[in-house]
Amino acid sequence: MEVNRRDFLRQVAAWSAGLSAAAPILHLPLSALGQDETAAATQPSAAKTGPIVAVAKGKDYAELVTRVLKPLGGIESFVKPGQRVVVKPNIGWDRTPAQAANTHPDVVKAVVQLALAAGAKQVLVFDRPCNEPTMTYRHSGIQPAVESLGDSRAVCQLLDERKFVPVKIAKGQSLDEWLFYRDALEADCYINVPIAKHHGLAKLTLGLKNCMGVIGGNRGQIHQNIGQKLADLNTVLNPKLTIIDATRILLANGPSGGNIEDVKILDTLIASTDMVAADAYATTLFGLRPEQISSTVAAYRMGLGEMDLKKMQMVEV
Amino acid sequence: MKKLHSILNSWRFWRRFTQAAFLVAFLYLFRRAELGLTDPSASGNPLAYVNLAFRLDPLVAACAMLAGRAFVGGLLLSLLVVALTALLGRAFCGWVCPLGTLIDLVGKPIRWRAKKTNAPRRWWRPTRYALLVVILVSALLSLPLIGYFDPFAILWRALTVAVDPAFNWATGETFTYLYLNAPASVTAVSEPIYSFLSHHVLATRQAALIGAGLSGGILAGILLLERVERRFWCRNLCPLGALVSLIATVSPLRRKPAKACAGCRACESSCRMGVFDSQHRLRIQDCTLCMDCVENCPHQIASFTFQPNPKSPAAPLTPHPIPLPLIQNADRPAVDLSRRAFLASCATGIALPTLAAGTEKLGLSNPLPPLLRPPGAAGNPARFLDLCVRCGQCLKVCPTNALHPALLESGWQGIFSPQLIPRIGYCEYNCTLCAQVCPTEAIPKLLLTQKQKAVIGLAAFNKDRCLPYAEKTPCIVCEEHCPLPDKAIKWNEVEEIDAQGDPITLQQPYVVDDLCIGCGICENKCPLEGEPGVRVSPPKRNPPPTQPSIN
Repeated sequence: MEVNRRDFLRQVAAWSAGLSAAAPILHLPLSALGQDETAAATQPSAAKTGPIVAVAKGKDYAELVTRVLKPLGGIESFVKPGQRVVVKPNIGWDRTPAQAANTHPDVVKAVVQLALAAGAKQVLVFDRPCNEPTMTYRHSGIQPAVESLGDSRAVCQLLDERKFVPVKIAKGQSLDEWLFYRDALEADCYINVPIAKHHGLAKLTLGLKNCMGVIGGNRGQIHQNIGQKLADLNTVLNPKLTIIDATRILLANGPSGGNIEDVKILDTLIASTDMVAADAYATTLFGLRPEQISSTVAAYRMGLGEMDLKKMQMVEV
Repeated sequence: MKKLHSILNSWRFWRRFTQAAFLVAFLYLFRRAELGLTDPSASGNPLAYVNLAFRLDPLVAACAMLAGRAFVGGLLLSLLVVALTALLGRAFCGWVCPLGTLIDLVGKPIRWRAKKTNAPRRWWRPTRYALLVVILVSALLSLPLIGYFDPFAILWRALTVAVDPAFNWATGETFTYLYLNAPASVTAVSEPIYSFLSHHVLATRQAALIGAGLSGGILAGILLLERVERRFWCRNLCPLGALVSLIATVSPLRRKPAKACAGCRACESSCRMGVFDSQHRLRIQDCTLCMDCVENCPHQIASFTFQPNPKSPAAPLTPHPIPLPLIQNADRPAVDLSRRAFLASCATGIALPTLAAGTEKLGLSNPLPPLLRPPGAAGNPARFLDLCVRCGQCLKVCPTNALHPALLESGWQGIFSPQLIPRIGYCEYNCTLCAQVCPTEAIPKLLLTQKQKAVIGLAAFNKDRCLPYAEKTPCIVCEEHCPLPDKAIKWNEVEEIDAQGDPITLQQPYVVDDLCIGCGICENKCPLEGEPGVRVSPPKRNPPPTQPSIN
């Protein structure tokens, strides 16, 4: 059965409204995460409607994934038996997990594991790396992690260049057409698992920016008017779930990083069905405001999601 | 059963079997010379075995060490070939050399309807000895010519630059066409085949290298010479074969009878190497021990046996009027290079390096304008060029297709030497594969941490092209990709007016010279079509040489 986002949100809103009213202890200790000013702005709002943004903290990243999905109804709300699932981490750079340039392999592995347990027919994990792909897949730890599951349904493979297909971007304001990876378009359930990190041009790279890994062509050209172009691309993809990996974040020299001193351990995951909302919240971890991130603003203006922190239902679990 | 028995008893079967095995081994090493399952950042040299063929090559060892004035321990493996040749004669050429095998393989169709000749003496016969002398003397004077004539280098380079990319492309295109156009019933068959080929036969990545026509053409030319004579290259041109022949003169393995018998001479007319002289005597130094004559002898009287006494009548006297002084011993077979030709070759060997050095000294031209070289080579460019045998191992292994054979960019002395072309590929920060496979250590074997500091070149922005400067458009893709932890590309934030007349805040990048290692990823990833906004050029002055690590 297909659940569209609106129905789903309605169901969850009813459920979580009760939860947040009953449990004031769920309030986030946000001062630990960002600046006080932004902490105030991200106090769990009294909003009873709006997208749910689940936030979880902990050292055991596998357990953390399960926990952060609870307010959203668990992985079962997204992955139905027999579905083809795409888990799209950031495997952009030939860096180690500690260097915080890619999604943490443990997080990816846990998401894949949950999707398999939910009965997925196939779980594809891929990205279009900026560095040499074979090395990047390996050194990121993500390919070994997926392979360690030993499940033939879970595949972490290099992209097949033949599978990029041109897609018209009907709602696009800065792009009319671009090449997209077929497997991403054809997935029954597309789960976006970016890492939160600094980005020289876009300031931050979060959920919206993570779509760069499923597009072909000269990606450097996306960088001219990057915010609007990212929003345009995301009108095509529309992931069912976004889990932002902030287990460790890169504070400077992003997106490729490489200096361990730029890395801050936060042991945090953020999950939402609303990618814009998830991005908006993740922005506060860096002491920035959502309106400073051009892709968030552009996506919000196009109606892709909520960027006003006061209009989200923040749930810490 | 009887037939099988006779096959297994036949020399020809075992010779062909051995030839095939060595050719397959060579191609296997060729296929393995890529990223594959090897971790390029691993310590040690996990991929070093793929250069085995070159380390078995005594001429490569001699020339690299002479020209490079360096001792390269790994090349001592070639003493194995020297020892075996001293024992078994020129069997290396007939049983081992993959180029020889390839020539045998394609010989028949190439000779189709060609005029048959097996004339014993031709004026070009001594060319290989002359080439050997020129190459060795030039190497002594630090001019490496070996790479243009070594059979392994010619074969590996042709495979790398021309044959393999073409084969990959054609196969990939065919199956892609089927994938996109054929009905499901066809792709149900073609896709598994393609998947098998991709994993076991094809390269992991489609490469495209500069100068495919030249490198492939040389191999094609060698093969086409089969129309003139069988094994033309081996008989007349191959300097490695010449060296092997020289060593083979001491081999005690000789044929019985030493002369083609009068009245039959089936051996003489069918000999692929034309080893019989005008008096029908077998010149053992030319014989590759293919055993055809043993097999073809209608009376079955021909055989090869060890004859430890060189004074035995089996050792033919030199047929040449002016034998080389150093092999004048009447007991030994001689080399057919006349004294005059020998002296002329020595003079050429001296003249070429002098010419090269002279033009440089006189400033007549700039014979060695610096190019971007593989990592670690810029520290001592002269050493690099002297040690480099142009084998093409690094070209093959480079995972980003960054290395290409130079044509005339660095003068004629630099032809086929590897150069890095960032617009095509960049030097991957975590990779040391080129150094791992380099058989002569021309590319120094650095630890990954050393290599990450080795300066290849220096990036510089072209403000007439770079978007934030030239077109007031945000970009800095280059800075994103800069692999250095401290970023050799930084930016200034400036307030500008863009083309629409609106105020815009721009990040204008610049290079921090002391941090830049010239890996070229900025130039490679620059999104501008055509001339990039940032270019890497060779370092202004040679960076201090990095001490190679011992591993």
